This record gives sequence, structure tokens and C-alpha cells, in this order.
Amino acid sequence: MCAFIEWKDKKIVYKRYASLFFVACVNSDDNELITLEKIHLFVEILDRYFGNVCELDIIFNFHRAYHILDELMIGGYLQDTSKKEVLKSCSTMDDMMDDEKEIGAGGNGSRRNSSKK
Amino acid sequence: MSQARGLQNFISDLRNAKSKEDESKRVSKELANIRSKFTASGSLSSYQKKKYVWKLVYAFMLGYDVDFGHAEVVSLVGSAKYSEKQVGYVAMSLLLKAGDSMMNMIVNSIRNDLVGSYDDAATSLALTSIANVSGIELMQALHVEVQRVLVSPNATPAVRKKAALCLLRLIRQLPDSIASADFAPHISNLLQDRHIGVLTSTMSLLIGLTSKHEQEYETMIPYAIHILSTLVLKKSVSPDYLYYRTPSPWLQIKLLRFLQYYPELMASGQAYVATLKQCLARILNDTDVSDSINKSNADHAVLFEAISTIVVFGDSGDEDLQLAAMRLLGKFISVREPNIRYLGLMTMSRLAVLHNNTNKEQIKTFQSVVVHSLKDADISVRRRALDLLFVMCDQTNAESIVDELITYLVAADAGIREQMVLKIAVLAEKFATSKKWYVDTILKLISISGDQVSDSIWHRVIVIVTNNSDDDLQQYVATTMFDVCSSKNAHVKAVAVGSYVLGEFGFLIAEEAGKSGEVQFQVLHQHWPLIDANTQGIMLTAFAKMYNLYEEIRPIIDPIFAKLKTSVDVELQQRSNEYRILGSLGPEIMEDILREMPAFDTQKVSTLEIALDQEHSDTHDVNVFKKKDPNSPASKRGSKTAQQEPEPEILVQAEPEPEPDLLGGFDDPPPAPIGGFEDPPLSKQAVTVGDPAAVASSFAKLLSTPQGVLFQNEYVQVGVKQEFRGSQGRIQLFAGNMGAESFTNFKLDMPQVPYLRTAVQDEMGATGAGCTLAPKQQARVMIMAEAIAPYCEAPGLTVTFETSTTTHSYPLKLPIVPTSFTEPVTVDKAAFMGRWGQLAAKESQEIITVSRTVDPAMMQQVAALLTGLKYGRCQEVDSPTTCSGCGTMKTGAKDGQGNPISVGCLVRIEANGDKFRVTARTLHPVVSQGVKETFCKVLKAL
Repeated sequence: MCAFIEWKDKKIVYKRYASLFFVACVNSDDNELITLEKIHLFVEILDRYFGNVCELDIIFNFHRAYHILDELMIGGYLQDTSKKEVLKSCSTMDDMMDDEKEIGAGGNGSRRNSSKK
Repeated sequence: MSQARGLQNFISDLRNAKSKEDESKRVSKELANIRSKFTASGSLSSYQKKKYVWKLVYAFMLGYDVDFGHAEVVSLVGSAKYSEKQVGYVAMSLLLKAGDSMMNMIVNSIRNDLVGSYDDAATSLALTSIANVSGIELMQALHVEVQRVLVSPNATPAVRKKAALCLLRLIRQLPDSIASADFAPHISNLLQDRHIGVLTSTMSLLIGLTSKHEQEYETMIPYAIHILSTLVLKKSVSPDYLYYRTPSPWLQIKLLRFLQYYPELMASGQAYVATLKQCLARILNDTDVSDSINKSNADHAVLFEAISTIVVFGDSGDEDLQLAAMRLLGKFISVREPNIRYLGLMTMSRLAVLHNNTNKEQIKTFQSVVVHSLKDADISVRRRALDLLFVMCDQTNAESIVDELITYLVAADAGIREQMVLKIAVLAEKFATSKKWYVDTILKLISISGDQVSDSIWHRVIVIVTNNSDDDLQQYVATTMFDVCSSKNAHVKAVAVGSYVLGEFGFLIAEEAGKSGEVQFQVLHQHWPLIDANTQGIMLTAFAKMYNLYEEIRPIIDPIFAKLKTSVDVELQQRSNEYRILGSLGPEIMEDILREMPAFDTQKVSTLEIALDQEHSDTHDVNVFKKKDPNSPASKRGSKTAQQEPEPEILVQAEPEPEPDLLGGFDDPPPAPIGGFEDPPLSKQAVTVGDPAAVASSFAKLLSTPQGVLFQNEYVQVGVKQEFRGSQGRIQLFAGNMGAESFTNFKLDMPQVPYLRTAVQDEMGATGAGCTLAPKQQARVMIMAEAIAPYCEAPGLTVTFETSTTTHSYPLKLPIVPTSFTEPVTVDKAAFMGRWGQLAAKESQEIITVSRTVDPAMMQQVAALLTGLKYGRCQEVDSPTTCSGCGTMKTGAKDGQGNPISVGCLVRIEANGDKFRVTARTLHPVVSQGVKETFCKVLKAL
């Protein structure tokens, strides 16, 4: 079946991974195929982050899934398309979350360095 | 990051819940627990705070109402610890909606993180959240800062890419917040960044900007083509940005999409044209199906974008590229992969629409393939095939395409039938080789799919037949309709057409054998018991006409009229009585009145095409295809050169003269306050907060009256006095302390809404930081509001205050609804019915039950309400049980020429027993809904 469904004045683009559906709603003139791959990119990043991601990872770590999504997209637009780059920001953030004592000085520094190319 | 144990358990519990009730019990328990923790004295540890906020977020995600904890979220956002800040920001993006009153408290924390901090992590969080929440108040408060961050030379790529996308959200909300001419150099700087993430984000922003201001960003074209050639020709990109061996397909697509805004690009003669041509050729020639579905998708996504670009360039582009694109599309529409087939059909339709002459001949060669796709298993593919057939149709192939469509219509499913019927009707009319063929086609439609044939379709047949008196069309149609109606199984719509046609033109065939007036009458009358009252009405008129023409059948028709004298249907009753008496007025008068109908005044725009147009609608970035398509409604309305006659003025009224500015001059003295406490002139109807019905009823009363009480209980009374003129209104709020003790922190919170521009005069500060209100004291607030967009939701007003023992909070709605900004319009029956028909697709309807059976006295109240809601009554179209009116909603928004935009509104209220059916049809679906809701609320309060 076609992975695009016309809905009102928008389009629904969906992809299924095992029992999970990933659904995106896009403008009717957006590029549909690349939206499918956008979904796949997100799934690949989740997979690398969690290591063989499954539904439970996303449910129990819904807040992390949100961080990852925020690092990948803002308001539905991709901010970066490199898996490595996105995962790097995520792990920097995780370090900072764990290491509260160092927030004052260390947090600043490590974040700076991590995002410089 | 350590995972909070309590959160894990909470999620597990909910997953293990045996039933929905179980789950909701568990959530209620948890929420109660959290609420008590939050309100208890003594501070929570950082760990606890985070844990509880996550739990709130989780409950919220499952769809539970979470109406507390916002203060904790605010405090987390303001925290100095990154781990708390991060939780706060994510929770804020999810829990707080645009327009939330907490937003004002949070703005300063966000601003600090945005510019005050040297911490990239905090800046990133702030940018992400602003974009995610995207409330207009956040945008207004922070857009300057966001711009500053984006163009700052010190910003790191991580911050820059977020700032670019945040700014994109911002210009969507406040399109004029960026001075495009000054901003272009910043964009060109960003486009020289080496970081692909920054480039990707910047391109999204650039597309957003360009969609509104093409000229200002024309200088970006060389940069875009340079980047494109690096990706496509040199394939030089860091390995991190290869997606299945393709250099960032996302960026490639964005670059191509940007170039589509300049359709004359290839003809510009600039040096970069050759490079672009090379890039496009490379994409077209080198794309192949790959084993990896992901690679294949990514490459084809780029390929389709390249083809779309070539389509946009059209004849000003390169001929070889055009041919190659055409060849590829021809291949794609017959491949097995449904996604590709779908896109192939869609892109081909765009091609057909944009370049009517050159490519149509080529496209027509694919007709049989497209017809085949009409039978595809996938509904999306079928729709595209239908659309393509529709646009590739012209005089030469209309008959074969319409035949194909009708053949397929027999088997088509409900999802697509209505659209098909409409399209066939339009094609049959537009490209008819003969009028007879057109009539036959519509009759076929009625017999195959009569239920989907809208009234406007068969009305059109009547118009065309009536207006073509020169040839033998009328006689032909009379014969045809006679034959169709002779069958007992004729569809009710065929009977309607037959009744009209035989009534008008039956005499043309009455001399033929077996078709005498009496037989014609019998042919129609056999359907009488099975047809609806509307059609019976049409048939009754046909009988009256026959009565006039054929003396021999008068004895048969007389009893029919006599019997209907007492019909339950008012329309039939009236018609039969009138026709019956007509006979007694003498033959001359009768003949005069029952003469043939004169030719219709034909609109140049067929109502059917209007119905089709309504299927289109605008998206955020004004799409290039819609911009260029000469048939699209957008360009029709926008450009003066459109060949079609302008839409009836009530639909979108652009007024040359501005309304007197109500917000500006305020010379008259403010009206006396209402609800004085010594001698209250208002009814002291008891309203408690526990009674939403009373709140709703007070609200409803205020919709049609200029002043009254919005809310009242033993503590507080809120009175409203309002005055509207055009798109502007002045609303005064009087909030009085009715109790015996002072209120502290007395606040009137009015979240900003994007559709109203408001200015507030408030001496006591009740709308800001709050004030103290002594017993018998009154806080007065004056709001000046202007509608700047169509809308339906009434804006909110929350009254909060504290007494020594309790905290009060009353969420209310301000009675500022679309009808507030409406001005009555008086139209005649023909105009009303015409517009009513045109707006059928934007209808909003609801049936409500009232407390008693509707009687004439109540209908009078309804008529008064219509006037109260500032609608002009159109009495000519009304029967005793209906009430119809027309108005125009004024807004302060401007169209392309700078004239204010208005929305024409029609409303019809039909009574039946103890029910009202309220139907609103306006040019804007949102307004239709708003108008309908307003009328329903007011009627319920009757």
C-alpha cells in the first residue's frame, strides 16, 4: 500500500516498525518520500541510543525520546541530519544530567566543546 | 542519567492496569498525591520535583487533564541546575499551551537563558522550547533576542541551527517581525557556514522567508546552487552526512525547493545556470532503484524534487531536461511501487496544470495507464489518477475520459464517489461537444450515483436547458426526461429534473403520440408517494403549469391541490393553496403567471467550479504550484487579470474605505458603570461556580445583548458592557467584591489570542500583577479588541483571588465571538440562495433540543435573536418555521491590496418540534463553526 494518505488539506505519511507506527502529518506539497526517510532517521537514532530499541524503551524513557526528537527536529524541521552529531548532543546532555555537581563550571565547558566542529 | 524509581513504577502500574477505570483510578491517586506534595509546606528536593513533574507529563500524554503543577514547571525552568532546567523546559513545551497565563511568568527566565547566559546548553533549551510552544506572547516578547542569537558571530553551530528554526516558527506567527531587505546579508553569511546542520536549518528558514518575499532573497541563488553542486556533482561532504551513501538528501531537497521560487531562473543568462543544469541532469540520469529501500526512497525524493523544479521552470527551462523528466514520469506512473506511482501521478498533474499547451499532448499519450490507476487498490493512488485525468482533459479527449470515469463510477467506493461526480459534471460542461451529450452525461450520473449528485449539479442542467431555446435541445431533453421518468425506478433527482423540464417544456412534445399532457402528468405523478417534500414542491409547480396548458387534466389535478391544502409540509400547503386559487382568478392572470421561465442570469463562474476550488486551501509556505497555477483560487482572487468575474462581493469583501478607527479616537465619555453595589440594577440571579449551565446561560445572554452579568456568586460579580463597530470592539469589565472581606491578589487574566489584537486600560493592575479589592470595591478594565483573523473560540478570562481562607479561580469566557464583529447585510432571495449553494462545502451544522415545542411566538424570539446577533434577516426565503439571515464579519486583516478582509456569513435556523437545526455557511470553515456555536448557545438559552 501507499505510505501516504491524503487527509483534509494535509498528508499523513506513516511507516511501521514491528508493532509501532510512526506517523507524520505534512503539508500537501511537502516531499513525501523524504518524510518517510526522516522517520527512518529518527528510528535509527533511537536504535543507536538505546541499542536495539523497542517499544518499552520509548515508553519508560519517554523523556529521553523527547530530548532526542528535540535534538533532531524543531517544530517539525530537521536541524541536523547527521546521526553522529545528534547522538553526541544527546550524550553530552545525559552527562550533564548525571553530574549535577559539575554543572557550574564543567557543564559549560563540555557542552561548548562538544558542539564545535 | 539516573532513572527515577517512582516514575518507573508509575508507568509500570499504568501499563499493568486491567481496565481503563483501573488506569484512571491510579492516575487520580497519583495526581492527588502530587498535588498534596506541591501544596504542602516545606520544599521538595530536586529529585522529587523532577520526578513529580515527569509523572504529570506522563499522565498528560495519556490524555488526562493536568491543571496544576505549572508553578513547579516554572520554577524548574528558572533553576540554576541544568538537570532541573532541562526537565522544566521539556515539561513546559508539553504542558503549557500558547496563551497560558503562566507564560508571562516564564518569559524572563527564558530571556535570561537566551541572552544572559554563556551556557550553550541553556540557550539551546530555550530556543527549542520557544519554537515548540510558539505562543504569540512568547514570540512577541523574544523575537528580537532570537534574531540576535542567530546572527551573533560567537554562536556555535549547535545554537545557530536551533536559532534559525526558532526564527522560522517566529516569522510564521509574526510575518512582519523581520525586515527582509536588512536580513538577507545575515542569511548569506549563514549559507557560507561549513556545517551541514546549520545549512539545513538555514535553508528551512530561507524557504519560509522567500515564500513571502521572493525578491529580497534573489541574491541567495548563487549560494544555493554552489552548495547544490558540491553535494550533487562533487559529492563532497563529511561522511557523517551521508545517508545511505547519498550526501544529505534533505539539504539537496531544500535547495531545490528554494530555487523553485524563481521560475524564470534558467532564462536569466547567469553563469550559474549551466551548473544548475548539470546538477539537474545528474540527478535525473544517475538515480536508480537500489536494493536498500532507504537509499531508493532518499534518492527518489531528490529526483522528484528535481522533476518538480523542472516542471516549475517549464518552457523557460531546458528542453532536454523537460523531455527526460517527462520520460521518467511516464515510467513512474506504471511501476509497481505504490509510493512512486502516487508521486508520478501527482507530479504529472502539476505539469499538466502549469503548462497547458506544450506537455499536454505528451501527457495525453498516457491516458490508458492513468485510467488503469483509477482502479488501483490504493485510495491515495486512485485520487491522484482521478485528479490527473481531470486536468489532462480537453475538447479532444473529453468524451472518452468522461466515459471512462462513468464506467469506473459504477464500481467506485464511497470515499471517492462524490469527488468523481463533481469532476465529471464539471468536465462534461466545460468540454461538452454538444449540449445533448452534456445532458445525457449528467443523467447518467444521476442514474448511477444519484445520491452524490448535489443540487448545484442538476440546477446547472436546468439553467443550461432553459437558456438554450434556439436549437432543439429543450425538445430533446423533454423527450429524454419523459423516458427516464417513465421508469418506476427513476432516481428522485431525475424526477426533480423531469418535473421541472416537463413542466416547462413538456408542451414541445405533447403532440407526439403517447406523450400527451395527460400521459406526462401520469408519468410524473406515479413517483409522488416516493419522493421528498422538496421534489414534491417542484412537481406541484409542474402540475400547475400543466393545469394551465391542458384543460383535460384539470379535473385530475384539482383534487391533488385540494388534498394538499392540509399537508403537514408548510411549503406544499402554501403552494397548493396558491395554485388552486390561481385557477379561479381567470385564465389571463393564470397564463401570465404560469408562463415559461425567462432565461437565467448565468454566472460566469459555474457554481461547480467554485465547489471544486474549495477543495484547495493554503499551506504555510505559499506553494509555488499554487502561486503559478492560473486556475487556482488563490491567484484568481489575488490578481486583477483573472479572466473570471470576481466572486460575489459578499464572500470576500475588500473595502476601499477603512472603518472609523474605534481604537484611536475615544472622545465620548466612558459609559456609566453597571452593577453599582448600592443599587444594583442588574438581576441578582444566583450563579454559583458549581453550575456551569448558569455560567453558559449568562455567557449566551451576553452574546446578543450589549450589557449584563457574565458571572456572579456570593463573592464576586463580573459585569460586561460591550460595543462593537466593524472589526473593532470596546469591552468594559466591572469586577466587584460582593463579600465582606478584602480580596488579595485579585487578577483578571486574559491570555492573548492570535486572532484578536487587544489593548487594555486598567488602572488598578488587575490584569497585570494583581491588586487588592476591598468589599464593595469595583475593578474596572477596558479592553479594546480588533479581530485580525477568522476564528471561532471565544477568548478566555480567568478571575482569581484569595480570601483569608480560600483561593478562588473562575475560568470564564469573554463574549467576544465572530458574530460580535458582524454587520448585517440585507440580500434578496436569489442572492441568498445563490450564495447559500456556493458555500455548501463550508457548512457547519448542529441540531439542538430546546425545552419546549417551538411555536410562532418562539420563532419571533428567534428572529429577534438574529437581529440581536447583527444579522440581516432574509425573510423571502423563510417559511414560518425557518429563520435565515446574512451578515459580514469584519476583520482588521488586510488582503494583498491592503484592504480589510471581511467574511460573508449566512445562517439558517429551522425549527421542528422541540428541535432547532442551525446551519451556518461562511467563506471560512472556522467562522462557520463559530457562528453555528454562537447561535446554538443563544438558542439553548431561550
